[in-house]
Amino acid sequence: MFNLSELQHDALLEIFNIGVGHAASAMSDIVKEEVTMSVPSISFLNRAEAASMLGQDGARICGISQHFEGAFKTEALLMFPEEKSLEIVRLMVGEAMPMAELTEMEQEAMSEIGNIILNSCIGTLANIFGQQLSGSLPMYHVGSSEEILTASGSPADAIVLMLHIDFILEKHEIHGYVAFILDMSALHDLQDQVDRYLAKAMGG
Amino acid sequence: MPTPTTVLVVDDSRVSRLMARQYILAAHPDWIVEEANTGEEALQRAEALAPALVILDVNMPGMGGVAAAEQLRVICPQARITLLTANVQSAIRNRAQELGIGFAEKPITEERIAKVLATLDA
Repeated sequence: MFNLSELQHDALLEIFNIGVGHAASAMSDIVKEEVTMSVPSISFLNRAEAASMLGQDGARICGISQHFEGAFKTEALLMFPEEKSLEIVRLMVGEAMPMAELTEMEQEAMSEIGNIILNSCIGTLANIFGQQLSGSLPMYHVGSSEEILTASGSPADAIVLMLHIDFILEKHEIHGYVAFILDMSALHDLQDQVDRYLAKAMGG
Repeated sequence: MPTPTTVLVVDDSRVSRLMARQYILAAHPDWIVEEANTGEEALQRAEALAPALVILDVNMPGMGGVAAAEQLRVICPQARITLLTANVQSAIRNRAQELGIGFAEKPITEERIAKVLATLDA
């Protein structure tokens, strides 16, 4: 499994913390409520481990994926329990929209939410690294955690950089996860970026 | 009677277009909001619509918002153009500055739309 030094791990966590802070503020603008997010924890897992961590109760998940490339290549995923999806969309578009229309728009609205949250997180990373990452259009998937993690077509031996984030809304408890799937060479690219960031931070 | 102000909202996300339309019309019920799905569609219709303001998403199927903005400046030089995007990277922000167009971050909120509309009065 992939390992980072303590310093690299610390730097990556701090960078994600900033990214997640921006994502929280974006999420709060979407649902028009205060959103607090837990400090993210990072773990590197293989796909099977990641799937079992996400799907402990076998629940169906709705996932929005986006492929990014540039400074490093990754498949970014935002995941929510499927049953929360309509609730989130309702918060986004407001009470006025009739249920039928809301249901019809659910997929597209969730894709747009994924687009905003993932770009907010990845964009912050790119800015901190002083690099550019270009993203594909968001794709919407529903299924088990294993299905969501394979839907993006990543190889079975890919590593999942799992960021576990709890989104806590004042009136609605919603738990979300963000994950980045990277292959070995992408992980090394990411590690290089972290090293450059550290060198700069230490006045190198 | 003066011609009503037209705003062209270009976004592949229907929910985003819907929200932008809602906030524009709440502030200016007499304005006309036109929608396009892609940059290509916006270019086709821009001359006939003669919008005062074009609000452009960046990440769309086809040419994308930045390329569309470059051409829109030629097709309708009178229009104010603003990118409204989830892509918060400095590179995109700098590109907008180089092109002399506005930049606003998604998600779409009433305040952000009000700020974009205020550039028309400036």
